[in-house]
Amino acid sequence: MNSVVKKLIEVAGRTPKTLVFPEGADERIPLAACEIAALGFVKPIVLGKREEIEAIVSREGKTLEGVCVIDPKESELLPGMAAEYAASRGVKEGIAKKLVSKPLAFGGMLVRMGHADGMVAGVASATSSVIQAASVTVELAEGISAPSSFFLMVMPEADGRVFVFADCGVNIQPTAQELAEIGVVAAANAKKLLGAEPVVAFLSLSTKGSAAHPDVDKVVEAVRIAREMAPELCLDGELQLDAAISPRVAEKKAPESPVKGAANVLVFPDLDSGNIGYKLTQYLGGAQAIGPIMQGFKKPVNDMSRGATVADVVAVAAVTALQAN
Amino acid sequence: MATTIERVKKVTAELLGLDAASIKDDARFIEDLGAKSVQTVELVAGFEEEFEIEMEEEDALAAKSVAKAAELIDACL
Repeated sequence: MNSVVKKLIEVAGRTPKTLVFPEGADERIPLAACEIAALGFVKPIVLGKREEIEAIVSREGKTLEGVCVIDPKESELLPGMAAEYAASRGVKEGIAKKLVSKPLAFGGMLVRMGHADGMVAGVASATSSVIQAASVTVELAEGISAPSSFFLMVMPEADGRVFVFADCGVNIQPTAQELAEIGVVAAANAKKLLGAEPVVAFLSLSTKGSAAHPDVDKVVEAVRIAREMAPELCLDGELQLDAAISPRVAEKKAPESPVKGAANVLVFPDLDSGNIGYKLTQYLGGAQAIGPIMQGFKKPVNDMSRGATVADVVAVAAVTALQAN
Repeated sequence: MATTIERVKKVTAELLGLDAASIKDDARFIEDLGAKSVQTVELVAGFEEEFEIEMEEEDALAAKSVAKAAELIDACL
């Protein structure tokens, strides 16, 4: 386990949250839940049939101590959940019952109704299924029009800095409004995960009018909207990357900017630049990329890659628990 | 007795607030009938309730039109 994940686990362990893992039929989930319960930083709820989950862990010589198992179809919570869902979405209770008895939606309803603080899914489900289930159960946060994602970029030890890069995984061509929302929500997550005050740079090919193009105008408009949404936040744009993270360059190119070359939250103008940016930092810069981590829901929901390992599930559980703080 | 496709149209009309008679066989849920992407999970649950079946989520979400959904449901019955 690397030092950053250890640190996240240690911080999450100070106030252990309850997280639901809907994909109990996939053996990585019960095994990760055992490890999480043993480390004690999260109280895990695993969804699925108890005998199947027990069989998975006992094959590895483990027990379900500290792990809560719920079979959605047998759960006494189901009627209440179906009624709540039917009322909030305006669908028939029969349809609501069918829907919330599915693991992803049941997990989302546990979060919505306060039985869990967050959800970790995706090892056995498509990203679109996780996002759809979360959208109709946990729901998007107030003022947010679309879910987005970020990476924690941990620079090599000699550098020591940790950045939040957003959105590098979901929105291909965000509008100015969506870009502003991505920046504001990423800043809130940076505060929770880095334990530092966020300094947000909205990146562009231009610094403070050095180039004219509709793409630059979009970033300028996003900064205006973000300031309206979160007037207390230290944010600025449009800024080129060097003016965002180098105090020396910032002094020359954007001397009036409150960012002062000390940005720790980098908001990319579109998914092309975001995806390329995080991979350049990872592959050429030697940074460790933790994520993608989803954001924008009322309570944290994370979508893991289908190739995730047990260790990856443990790490994402720590991140999700901290997002829930 | 109503056919599968008629029952698919009935459920779709109820969930999307449309008139079942106005829905064409080849209508696509999102592009033609205006379903939001999050409503597709509700459509799947609606079909499961109507036909008393369990559908594989990814197969179900891949059926993008009324006719395709009816075809998939017939295969489950």
